[in-house]
Amino acid sequence: MTVTSPVAPAPISLRRNFWRGVGRVLRRKPSRMVGVAIVVLFVFMGIFGPLLYPNPLPRDDNALYASPSWAHPFGTDFEGTDVLALVVTGTRYVLLAGLATAVITVAVGTLIGLLAGFHRGRWDSVLMRLTDLQLTIPGLPLLLVLSTVWKFTSPIEMGVVLGLLGWGGIARAVRSQSLSLRERGFIEAAKGLGLPTRHIVLRELLPPMAPYIAMNMLIAVTGAIYAQVGLFFLGVLPFDANNWGVMLNLSVFGGGALSSTAALPYLLAPLLAILLLTLGIVLVVDAMDEIFNPRLREE
Amino acid sequence: MRRLAAIAAVAVIATVTGTACSGVGGSGEAGVYTTIDGAKQIDATAPINPFNPQGNTFLGYDAMSLAWPKNDPVDPNQFYPGIAQSWTTTPDQSEVVVHLQPNAKWSDGKPVTSQDVKTSIGLAYTQGGTAYAVDPKAAGSAADVIVVDPHTVKVTQGANKSNTFLRNVLSTVVVPAHVFGSLLPADFWTQLKLARGSGPAAEKAKASITGLAQKVITFAPPKDVSAGPFVLERVNPGEALLVKNKHFWASDKIAPNRVKVLNYTGNQQIWNYLIAGRLDSAPFTAVPSGVLNRIRQTDGNEVVKGFSPVAVSMAFNQTKAPYDNVHVRKALAYLIDRSQVTKVASPEGGTPSPTTTGIHAEAAKSWLGDSINGLDQYKPDPAKAAQELKAAGMKQVNGKWTMPDGSPWVVELHVPASFSDWVAAAKAITSQLNDHGIQASVLTSADYTLYLDELAAGKYDIGLWLMALGPAPYNIYQRIYGSANGWQLLAGNLTHVPPGKEGNWMGGPETLDGVNPGALTNQLNVADPAQQKQIVGTLARLTNQNLPMIQLYDYVNTQFVNDSRFTGWPPNDSDVLRLSAGVWMQLGLIKEQGTR
Repeated sequence: MTVTSPVAPAPISLRRNFWRGVGRVLRRKPSRMVGVAIVVLFVFMGIFGPLLYPNPLPRDDNALYASPSWAHPFGTDFEGTDVLALVVTGTRYVLLAGLATAVITVAVGTLIGLLAGFHRGRWDSVLMRLTDLQLTIPGLPLLLVLSTVWKFTSPIEMGVVLGLLGWGGIARAVRSQSLSLRERGFIEAAKGLGLPTRHIVLRELLPPMAPYIAMNMLIAVTGAIYAQVGLFFLGVLPFDANNWGVMLNLSVFGGGALSSTAALPYLLAPLLAILLLTLGIVLVVDAMDEIFNPRLREE
Repeated sequence: MRRLAAIAAVAVIATVTGTACSGVGGSGEAGVYTTIDGAKQIDATAPINPFNPQGNTFLGYDAMSLAWPKNDPVDPNQFYPGIAQSWTTTPDQSEVVVHLQPNAKWSDGKPVTSQDVKTSIGLAYTQGGTAYAVDPKAAGSAADVIVVDPHTVKVTQGANKSNTFLRNVLSTVVVPAHVFGSLLPADFWTQLKLARGSGPAAEKAKASITGLAQKVITFAPPKDVSAGPFVLERVNPGEALLVKNKHFWASDKIAPNRVKVLNYTGNQQIWNYLIAGRLDSAPFTAVPSGVLNRIRQTDGNEVVKGFSPVAVSMAFNQTKAPYDNVHVRKALAYLIDRSQVTKVASPEGGTPSPTTTGIHAEAAKSWLGDSINGLDQYKPDPAKAAQELKAAGMKQVNGKWTMPDGSPWVVELHVPASFSDWVAAAKAITSQLNDHGIQASVLTSADYTLYLDELAAGKYDIGLWLMALGPAPYNIYQRIYGSANGWQLLAGNLTHVPPGKEGNWMGGPETLDGVNPGALTNQLNVADPAQQKQIVGTLARLTNQNLPMIQLYDYVNTQFVNDSRFTGWPPNDSDVLRLSAGVWMQLGLIKEQGTR
């Protein structure tokens, strides 16, 4: 009756220790706190941004390409719409597409890498040839061609395509790690105990790789942001006034932002947003690296 | 060491500053005229051949037409002399006699003769179209080319007459027979005569002539032989350099010794050339206000504006509901504030269309006179728009307009992504419609070719469309009541194909108020000026009442010149603004600064 009672608090204690460790890692470098704050800010903008402004956004015919002011910190666009409002309301599409891309990249890449690395043999040959094939597909030209038949009206569609074009690298890395881990004692033991493959792959092989995969997922978000903004900038994807890439396109080709100062704030605002978001993600990845890597933690 | 570097840096800065001051930001080379070709970008690998669309010949400089069209808003048959010194025509344009410049010579010293013109016409037949269609039934095609004497050529028109014949003949680009003549087989004119008949032999001859097209396009002469004021010396991916042709018949009128035609990849590069003061003149270039102000700040830069026979409209696919209903089209016209659209999209290069007539406002003054005041102006009027929408059976639910059956109505406006002023115009229109409870969005196509293909395939409900492409009234109304709306002119026969077939994406009815507008448009080809005015009046009224498209803004020909090195520019509204600067030079307009 009294034997089991002291064991119960252990998971809570572990969890508390983990979060205490996270707090300690973040506090060690203030830049990491800044990174978390930036990511939280963008997530907030993505969720609540469109609720902060009226829909459609107000326009002012007498303030086309207006200079920055208190009312319009980044000036206005070609229709007299506040540029900051465009950036804030455009965050949702960018984040959703980035997240969808990251999830698909990581899910497909990890699954294929795990299966190939664990099973080896024919599975490995087939899946790695498939990965090689995927890696040889030139992403941008394919997207340019795809954009002629597919309009990518939702961020999820965009994310699916970018994700399916980007899983090759992760699959290769996860396979390498699987090949290494499968030779370790704990995997041998699991096999010796006759545990099912599903258990070995998901419960034994995957957890040691989780930090690496999580960090790759965040980095995939930044890659996806560059890719989608680039495509919108090239003008090959559907027009949406508050899309960051469309804003870049219109400021350069419509407003002449690289030739005169009138549309420069219109160009700088989405650029600054991309820069900040990328910086935030990189700083968070730096913190994650230390959280999940015991050797770095000890230092 | 550090001091030496500093002294060297100061010396370099002083040299650069000195150079910049002397050259006013331009090339700094005396007698060099720098410009761009508005019609094409430079492809250094393309041949020196005017029949090649990418060819390295430049109209007005080293490529010469018989004459240069003035593109008068009303009279398409006004020209400045080119290789032709003068010309005469019969009232029905059945015969055009061209007299060549007596002193015209090619840059290799050989005289320009009637045989050169005949060879050029033969080569034009291989490309087809305009006055040189092999099919004898094609409207306005030439029937015969006769060399009267070494400096006189007579071209006769076939049975199916068109009043665009003179314009098309005089637009012939003339190439040297001693360079291009070998492309035509010895029996070419016999084959042409045979091809203009009927039967298997005619078909065979026709195939042999059109089969020459590719050979003509790809022909690459080893060097430029020009009858124009300049001759191409070299071309590289960045620029083409032309030098003065000492054999040009009016070389004393030509001020520059050399012409540099700079390459560009987009408008932005032209803006930067202009801001740097590198260009002595630049043809029409879409420019946002901020950039225009920046260009004006450069020493010597000036803006010259004139008439441009082009307008932009919002065209409907009338096979798709609810745009098949004229009340819906009228409602949209009453909701769109064209002044605001123009202010957003093209403040420097456009003026809001006063109403929809199918004609550029400047030309409409001459064609329609006071009768334009009797047309509906479609001034912004939400109350009238609501009436029209109700008349169409549309419903308003919670402030949003829906289809008659209550299903959502989403206006999708298509534009090519590369046309920045169109994208801005479409966005301004959709913003206005959203303000009035009509859900509207802009959809872009990756490029203009794809846009036109999808438009022709009937994939769009509404798309922006160039119209009023004058000056010939037939060309103007052909944009509304032509092949895009079902009327096809083949071998002289006008037919109307059903909506959705053979490029008929507009899908308008064959008759409007009992009148066949396509047939009326076709009559513009043969009508005399008085009849043309009457027909244009009728078509303008039909277009205004039925709105197959809503005319948004009329383009203004905004060009740039720089006074630093040359002067004598055409004034505002001059008809020569519609021609290349090479023609300005031929007309004796351009002088070197300080020599006036």
